[in-house]
Amino acid sequence: MKVLRDLFKDYRFALSFCVLVVLVIMALLSFFSPYDPTLWGVAPRDLEPSWEHWLGTDSNGQDIFWQATFAVRNSLIISLIAGLVSRLIAIIVGMIAGYRGGTTDRVLMFISDSLLVIPLFLIMVMLSMLVRQYMNLAVLGLMLSIFGWAWDARLIRSVILSLREREFTQTAILSGTGTLRMVLNEYMPFAMPLIFSTLINNMSWAIGLEITLAILGLVNMSIPTLGTMLNWAITYQAILLMRWWWIGTPVVLSVLLFIALYWMSVSISEYLDPRTRIQRVGTQ
Amino acid sequence: MEVGKKTLSRREFLQGAALAATAMVASACAAPTPEVKEVEVTRLVEVAGTPVVEQVVVTATPPPVVKAEAPAVLGVLPRSETLIADILTGRVGSPSNFNEWVGWKNRDRGMQTLANEPLWTVDFATGEIINGSADGDPIYNDDFTEVTIKLRQGTTWSDGEPFTSADLVFTVETLMKYEGFSATSFFNENVATVSATDDYTVVFKLKQSNSRFHTTFLDRWGCTWVMPKHIFEKVEDPVTFEFNPFVGTGPYKLHSFDPAGFWTIWEKREDWDKSPTGILFGEPVPKYIVYQNFANEGAKILAQLTHQADVVNLSSDGLKALLAQSKTSRAYQPTFPWVVNNDPCITGITYNTARPPFDNVDVRWALTLAIDIVDYLAIAMDGTATMSPVHVPHLGAYPKDYIEPMQDWLKELTVDIGNGETFAVYDPDAPKRVVEYAKGRGYTFPEDPESVAKAFGLGWYKYAPDIAEKLLVKNGFSRDADGKWLLPDGKPWKIAFMTETDMTHPGVRNGMAAVQQWKKFGIDAEHYPTEAQANLISIGDFDVSQSWPAQEPWGAGPDLYRVLNYYNSEYVKPLGDTTNGHPSRWSSPEMDAIIKKLRETDPTDYAAVVAVGTEGLKEAVRQMPGTPTFGYVGFVGWDQYYWTNWPGSENAYTQPYTHWGPFKYMTPFLKPTGA
Amino acid sequence: MAFTKRYLIPRLIQYFLVIFLGITAVFFIPRLIPNDPVQRTLQEMKARGSFLDPGTMDEIIADLTEMYGLEGSWGEQYLAFWGRFVRGDFGVSFFQFPTPVNKLIGIALPWTLGLLLVTTILSWTLGNIIGGLAGYYSRRHWSRALDTVAMIVRPLPYYIFAFALLLLLAYVVRWFPVSGGTDIGRKVAFNWPFIKDVLRHSFLPALSLIILGGAINFQTMKLIVQNVNAENFVQYAKLGGVTEDRIVSKYVIRNALLPQITGLALSLGQIFSGALITEIVFSYPGLGSLLYHAIVNGDYNLIMGITVFSIFAITTAILIVDLLYPIFDPRVRYT
Repeated sequence: MKVLRDLFKDYRFALSFCVLVVLVIMALLSFFSPYDPTLWGVAPRDLEPSWEHWLGTDSNGQDIFWQATFAVRNSLIISLIAGLVSRLIAIIVGMIAGYRGGTTDRVLMFISDSLLVIPLFLIMVMLSMLVRQYMNLAVLGLMLSIFGWAWDARLIRSVILSLREREFTQTAILSGTGTLRMVLNEYMPFAMPLIFSTLINNMSWAIGLEITLAILGLVNMSIPTLGTMLNWAITYQAILLMRWWWIGTPVVLSVLLFIALYWMSVSISEYLDPRTRIQRVGTQ
Repeated sequence: MEVGKKTLSRREFLQGAALAATAMVASACAAPTPEVKEVEVTRLVEVAGTPVVEQVVVTATPPPVVKAEAPAVLGVLPRSETLIADILTGRVGSPSNFNEWVGWKNRDRGMQTLANEPLWTVDFATGEIINGSADGDPIYNDDFTEVTIKLRQGTTWSDGEPFTSADLVFTVETLMKYEGFSATSFFNENVATVSATDDYTVVFKLKQSNSRFHTTFLDRWGCTWVMPKHIFEKVEDPVTFEFNPFVGTGPYKLHSFDPAGFWTIWEKREDWDKSPTGILFGEPVPKYIVYQNFANEGAKILAQLTHQADVVNLSSDGLKALLAQSKTSRAYQPTFPWVVNNDPCITGITYNTARPPFDNVDVRWALTLAIDIVDYLAIAMDGTATMSPVHVPHLGAYPKDYIEPMQDWLKELTVDIGNGETFAVYDPDAPKRVVEYAKGRGYTFPEDPESVAKAFGLGWYKYAPDIAEKLLVKNGFSRDADGKWLLPDGKPWKIAFMTETDMTHPGVRNGMAAVQQWKKFGIDAEHYPTEAQANLISIGDFDVSQSWPAQEPWGAGPDLYRVLNYYNSEYVKPLGDTTNGHPSRWSSPEMDAIIKKLRETDPTDYAAVVAVGTEGLKEAVRQMPGTPTFGYVGFVGWDQYYWTNWPGSENAYTQPYTHWGPFKYMTPFLKPTGA
Repeated sequence: MAFTKRYLIPRLIQYFLVIFLGITAVFFIPRLIPNDPVQRTLQEMKARGSFLDPGTMDEIIADLTEMYGLEGSWGEQYLAFWGRFVRGDFGVSFFQFPTPVNKLIGIALPWTLGLLLVTTILSWTLGNIIGGLAGYYSRRHWSRALDTVAMIVRPLPYYIFAFALLLLLAYVVRWFPVSGGTDIGRKVAFNWPFIKDVLRHSFLPALSLIILGGAINFQTMKLIVQNVNAENFVQYAKLGGVTEDRIVSKYVIRNALLPQITGLALSLGQIFSGALITEIVFSYPGLGSLLYHAIVNGDYNLIMGITVFSIFAITTAILIVDLLYPIFDPRVRYT
């Protein structure tokens, strides 16, 4: 609790926490939505925001506010899946490669480099075409996670490489600590700030990539996400028809989401790094 | 409404201020009193939720202002003599290659629309077939194994060489000789010999009877063109020859093109009177015509709003945005529904009749009756499309020849719902309900029966979900506890509606609308867009798709052979093999008999052709291999700042598109505004 | 010598292996998708009004399959590909038959290279310099203000940001053209009017890319510099009386640049994938839309052509950075 209190002293954490809470509430609200998000024509089209439809309606005849709740929920789910799965892979690969070194290291880095090298965009487009029929949130999240781990595995590996040379490692080995314990107990705390900030960065990246794929029409358009809402609005020329409520909602929501995630990651990693924590929070 | 007016006048104010400022500056520099040009715009636009524009007569101020309003997008050409059109098919992939006989070369960038004159051209707005390089109809012998084609005299290629029968003979011989040409197989299969009996007559002897052989030279957005012999005979390999610059007998010649494929410029020939267009219709008016590619619809609209484009092809909402923001643009129809609705193509739903349960005609009818056509058209096109209950679209001569005479038969058409009951399926009041919907959206338009029929159609099938239910139950379907439909074997009924991925395409919009209807009805339907749809549909790996429920008709003349032959049983292949006929893989002995009868009917015997065609349409309606919904909808926006007298629906002297062949016949009738 | 044997040779082997693996993957993946280029072409022909007589379809399909070189098993096609590849021949494009792939790439490449090279380098340089300074002076007002601006710009969906720029600068004020790479009718010639024209048309796409890339670089650099600032050696230098300028340039920024250099290499390598959304919004010619249409149309040869360039570029960029790293960071040794 003291941790949280300290964290809250940083205005960025406080603000981003509030924004995230609001967004999560929105996402949870989706379970109470009076409208089925896949049905069209449930409301009159193209209405401006009013008391009946808080954010207005779109050209498909759907209520934008309730669509947005689903969109936030789905985007969060996709990015969580993508971020967590790719962290898992990055940690495993990075730790093993960094600690073991030698051939294991070479092989693992070879695989991760190959992933970096193949043009991501090409593979994403082709994969989307391939799994189009089965595309749902989990599949999309997994697809995004496959490409999110390579860079971060390298980062983790370099942290491990430098830690390996430190004195405490030698001490631990001499006293008989096994690889697994070494990695989990000794190294993880050093890597945690990195892992955490990369998790949030990865989540932002996943949301951004989902929006890009949606604008290109490569995801399942009937599942409302921030990206698909944006794509519908663009396709229906909401900007030029000046239907600001329709184009504004996903843009504002994704900006808020990004900023919140970014501030959260920055403030948490500053907190975890003892030197900067003292600067931020002060000694007590 | 207030919000709309405020926003408009803010922009108006800004523009007005800019205009006023430049006008003051200009008038300070320019001495004489400026003439006032009137640019008349007649349209009514009221779109719910968007700014309101009423009927306006705009007075354009003199030339100096023009320069401020419309920046010089043209580096080298005089804007007032140039017409800028947007190219429909996207960026030109191989800009320096004009050899249209091999593969796809973006022929709508000016080749088929301005520079090439085919033997015959279909103009679907007037329903006529125009003799271009040919001089009259083809003359077949009695058993259709020989055809004589007479060519127009007194025309030359754009480089000055005369156009003669030697060119046509050379073309066919070359196409038959080299393998890389697209038309090689067709000519080798059909033509035994080809020869020129004099300078303007060509005789084909065919390998088998083929009463529609000449249609390969009939331009309906593409056909076999005539090569200039004097150029191609000097070339070693005509397949890889780039044919740069393009030389044709049309009224325009190639001026220049962008090596990156974004624009192509055509210039009026000085000897335009030696082209069939010039001979038939007179001198083309625009001196230069540019085809430009815009990768983004938003950019297209902005270009037209700034008068950097004169005619653009848009989507439904793009057109709305253009009309709402522009004072000088108009659509094809002066009022709602605005759209081009005489494109000869019927859109709808195609069922894979080789895959259960779509092999059951009752199921197909049940799915049709579960559709509320008003809601369907609202979702798909915001009510702007023309419905048709038969497998030809409601345009041109088809209503007069087919749809109106079939009204009585349709009204008496019934389906058998079991227990000796039948149900009459036709609803002639459906267009009235679409009118109510449109009025509810705030659109205003003429409501007399003739205009309503022309804009919305004559009728469609009833929205009868309870009857659909009875049909399904009769065939062993049932509902589960949640009301979702189950197949006869008890599994939940899932339908994946396969479409392509462009969400503004009419086929895709059919898919979206149908999925919504069937969802409401209780079927677990979902929209499945995929890039691979071409492949999957041709091998039959789909449930329901956006393919046109019938092949596109010619658009001119009553002949439906092109439509009906597609259902020929000899083209149906087993699932997994690519089918050459209609993707529904449907056929019936009755339809085969009708096709055979049509093949043996003289294509110039109007009444006989219509009679057989009607039989074919009736069979297709009874069996419903695909549900026809509405005719293809085009969204064309014309800017009247530089050019007027466009062939709108009130003045349809030719078809409206700039990407169809007859565009060259529009060019002599356009009028410059003097701006 | 030890360097060569222990590091260079394995590294080079890895370099070639990665390229080989990448090319093989890109060869097979498009063929796994049920997007048959022959069917795609047939569909285009039908959509473009060619009335394909159902009777002759089979021959047409056979002809197309042969022309595209798609006969034979995948293994045979794979070997044939390598055979052509060593001669620098990527074959002909399916969709723009019979234009050779090299020609198509040659048309689009200068545009992409021009735009992306300039914007990558500019955004990297500007972003890092300003970000470095902002990170060092992180308490100042202007630093925080810039950070806020970057933070709002960065998460905007790029399409919206780019389109908004277009709307503002090409429509509301008519300073720039709405689309294209050059004016209509402009001939390609290396004289001032042409260059001015190209610059005018590339300004908006470049601006959107530089602002976005710059914002990202800015924020990353600022964070890194803030971390380096807290390091002991910087504190020591300050206590020791080293001038501020020297601290900023020689101590802080030089150290902070290290991770950014690898990032630059990666960005430069990714130029060959093109900037698809930029090209869509601004109707700008380039490799991005070429590649996208190649994928969508199942144009295997064109996909291979562009991606091979891309793979080469990225791996070479990484290799060069890896080899040159000891120059930047003397702490790293390869012996």
